[in-house]
Amino acid sequence: MIETSTRKSKLAFRLSRFLRFLKLLVSKKKSAFGLAIIFVFFITAAGAPLMTPYTALGEDPSSPLFPIGTNTASPVWLRYFPTWLGGDPTLSEQMNIVKNPGLPKLTSEGGDWSIDVEGSGVSDPSIRTDVGYPLPAPPGFKEFTQNGSLQIMFSRTKGTFYNGTKIHIYTVFDYPYTGPPGRFIGNIALLVNGSTHEVEKLVKKAVNGSLTFVMENVTCLDVPIVVRIYLGQQGGKEWKLWPCPYVDALNIYPPLGFATDPVTRQPWGIDKPESGILAPGGWIIARDSAATKGGHIDSDSNSLVNELTEFGKESAPHRLVFTNQTTYIYGIEITFLDQEDSTKDVSTEVFIDDFGLRLYGTSFGLMGTDHHGRDLFSQLVYGTRISLYLGFTVSIFSVVIGLSVGLAAGYLGKAVDEILMRIADVLLVLPGLPLLIVLTAVLGATIENLILLLGVLGWMGFSRMVRSQVISIKERPFVEAAKAVGAGRFHIIINHILPSVASLVYISLATAVPGAVTAEAALAWLGFFDPVRMSWGRMLHANFEANALTNWWWVIPPGLCISLLSVSFIMLGFALDEILNPKLRLRK
Amino acid sequence: MGLRSFIFKRLIYSFILLLVIIMLNFAIFKSMPGDPIQFLMQPWGKESPEARRVQEDLLRTMWGFGDPIEIQIVKYIRNLLSWNLGIAFTSRQPIAEVAARKIPYTVLLLGASTAIAIAIGVLWGILVIQRRGGLFDSTSVAGSLFVGALPTFWLGLVFLLFFYSILHWFPNAGAFPREWAGNWPTLWSSSGNTSPTAFHMILSLNTDGVLTLLGGYLHHLFLPLITLVLFFVGGWLLLTRATMIETITEDYVVTARAKGLKERTVLLKHALKNASLPIITSAALSFGFLLTGAIITETVFTYPGLGAWIWDAITFLDYQVLMAIFYIVSICVIVANIISDLLYGIIDPRIKYG
Repeated sequence: MIETSTRKSKLAFRLSRFLRFLKLLVSKKKSAFGLAIIFVFFITAAGAPLMTPYTALGEDPSSPLFPIGTNTASPVWLRYFPTWLGGDPTLSEQMNIVKNPGLPKLTSEGGDWSIDVEGSGVSDPSIRTDVGYPLPAPPGFKEFTQNGSLQIMFSRTKGTFYNGTKIHIYTVFDYPYTGPPGRFIGNIALLVNGSTHEVEKLVKKAVNGSLTFVMENVTCLDVPIVVRIYLGQQGGKEWKLWPCPYVDALNIYPPLGFATDPVTRQPWGIDKPESGILAPGGWIIARDSAATKGGHIDSDSNSLVNELTEFGKESAPHRLVFTNQTTYIYGIEITFLDQEDSTKDVSTEVFIDDFGLRLYGTSFGLMGTDHHGRDLFSQLVYGTRISLYLGFTVSIFSVVIGLSVGLAAGYLGKAVDEILMRIADVLLVLPGLPLLIVLTAVLGATIENLILLLGVLGWMGFSRMVRSQVISIKERPFVEAAKAVGAGRFHIIINHILPSVASLVYISLATAVPGAVTAEAALAWLGFFDPVRMSWGRMLHANFEANALTNWWWVIPPGLCISLLSVSFIMLGFALDEILNPKLRLRK
Repeated sequence: MGLRSFIFKRLIYSFILLLVIIMLNFAIFKSMPGDPIQFLMQPWGKESPEARRVQEDLLRTMWGFGDPIEIQIVKYIRNLLSWNLGIAFTSRQPIAEVAARKIPYTVLLLGASTAIAIAIGVLWGILVIQRRGGLFDSTSVAGSLFVGALPTFWLGLVFLLFFYSILHWFPNAGAFPREWAGNWPTLWSSSGNTSPTAFHMILSLNTDGVLTLLGGYLHHLFLPLITLVLFFVGGWLLLTRATMIETITEDYVVTARAKGLKERTVLLKHALKNASLPIITSAALSFGFLLTGAIITETVFTYPGLGAWIWDAITFLDYQVLMAIFYIVSICVIVANIISDLLYGIIDPRIKYG
């Protein structure tokens, strides 16, 4: 009974003492400043997922294969900045033209797409929920996961003939910015099916390792189609975005009008279903995925092959397309090439899926993007975690080593003292940064290695302080009294000596952080960074590598964060020093 | 124990330290990935596997990789002590030669900036002490703390951003204008004299050429220099302030004041003189970091010293160069330590050795 009550009162006493200590800390200007900043950084680190929807590297977790912005985009607020301060009102922002690309609904059903039909033979398009590309959706493509596609059916009975029936499916949108977007990426998946016939064709084939032409029977559509995807000002110039696939066969050959060798030359835009199933015919897709690298309709790639002559030497089509602040049109035109053949009923059906267009603005987010189109603000926010994690683990690690070495050397003395202090001397003399560079080069630059190295190389000064304190304490009468009573070595160290160095421990815990943070930044700057983590130092390294020094919104924040964090811990250390070493308080 | 035996002891201790550093280097060399024989075999063409094997064995015996470990260690120590630092992995040049080309730039940059920083920092510290407790004092201390906590490379980047990218006042890379390569400013007007004496050379010195040369170097030196000075100055300011505060509470300073001496005289003659001991020794120590202090800053400004060399070595993971730089820098630090110990003893008569 008595035992527990004393323990309780002891605890209460300790708690009240701690609270008083905290109050003292907060009342001091230096420590209040330091604690406030550290607190803000802690909140940032903990609330990072709430502050940004992107990953720590600044990528979009739902569709990692798409960039989330243009490369080295400016921050959005730069649009409203005065021009003499570097603002640019012509900057554009991100636009998702199609609300739900996964299921291309018509406007009559509340979707994006309008329809125009020239000629006859086409029945009303309808949504088919049982057909869709792909099944299942590739991981990471959140917006394409909805199954279902838009079915367009062309059919006629034998004896009739509809030449050149065309269908346009398009969406119209206003482009509100004076400047062009940074780039655009469109995507579409098409599936073509229908009645077929066999045709003997000259096929280029690899026979015994050499290419020869062979006559072969090829299954062809009775009514082949030509596809054109276009983008342009409504009623003005329309730019063709994709070379027209001329689809006349159900298998992959010949996928495009100009493709000659499907084996060696995999034309982009045409893709076997990733599963390898040819059953419903091949999906023709234009989308950036691992299977169809460069297969999207993209202002950066040469997907505007047919228009390249018109574009001339301008390598950035988005600048030519989006010249005005007007209404633009994006759509697909399918021409059914009916052939006069009165022997049978013919039909061709086309399924359209994943039809979308994304305009990437020249500005993005709070801090713009890096040279890989990744969000810089997320990198900054998540960088807080790395710095805090590294700073605290290193400081704890080095303090634990320093404390044990200092206690052992100071209390045990003699040979132990001599050996430990000589080791400390050697480590103190070694130039820190070059040694760190050599060791990280050999060990690899993961955060864990860095923590280990910084901890092992950072305890010497502290252990010296502890040692001198211990040496002066162990001669005090109360230690002798404890010895006389018969207390063991361990007991004396823990109960009588440790409390006297506790203030040193607190101070050192605070002052070891900034060194670790800046050391990590320096190493990351030199090129030793954890490849899977984006720290503040690495952000600066990336900026230097990308030669984007003028993007000051990329350069200034990480450095300021590093120094703010360091300064706040230095301030805290100073305040602790003043509180815990009362001698200093007298001096002014 | 007298000064002489103290020096002797320090020298012995420093030599042991040097051996420890060499052993550390050796351990790193042994544990690093990759086989040095493959590196040596690179120029060996596409000969048959047998011929390659013969050559490999030859190289192994020649370079002593087949020797027992203790002999390897002895050879390693002998090589490093005789300044044989090996061959750079990428450039395939002897590292000692390359280092001899790079070190002068670093020494120039760091020596100049350390000297300037010490001068400014100490003077500023004295000014701060005169007005201690005031706004000037607190802003100076806070400012030096903040600037000292900034990553140097970031400070350099910001300078580059303003003075190179925006204002175009200073160049961003190199130690001299790029267009000088192969077309150096003529320092001597040619007099047709094939073997000029020193006297002749001085007479025929081309003033314009000398000025262009100096101007070009200074123009390129300025930004890294300013970065380093800004970075260092805070430390000197704080050190001066701390030591001075320590001394001005001493009795003799109080006595000097009580005598009715001017505050200026008290500070400079009585306080500073006694406070100068730690300042001088840490100045000596700071010259030990003459080679390391600029590593980061040099990379920002692509200044062709050790820093830029390290940057290249890291890009190609050239362990040999990294280790050699570590070795060179360590020697520099050890020497500075000896010097500062000696200075301590010479300046302060109170010091007893032992």
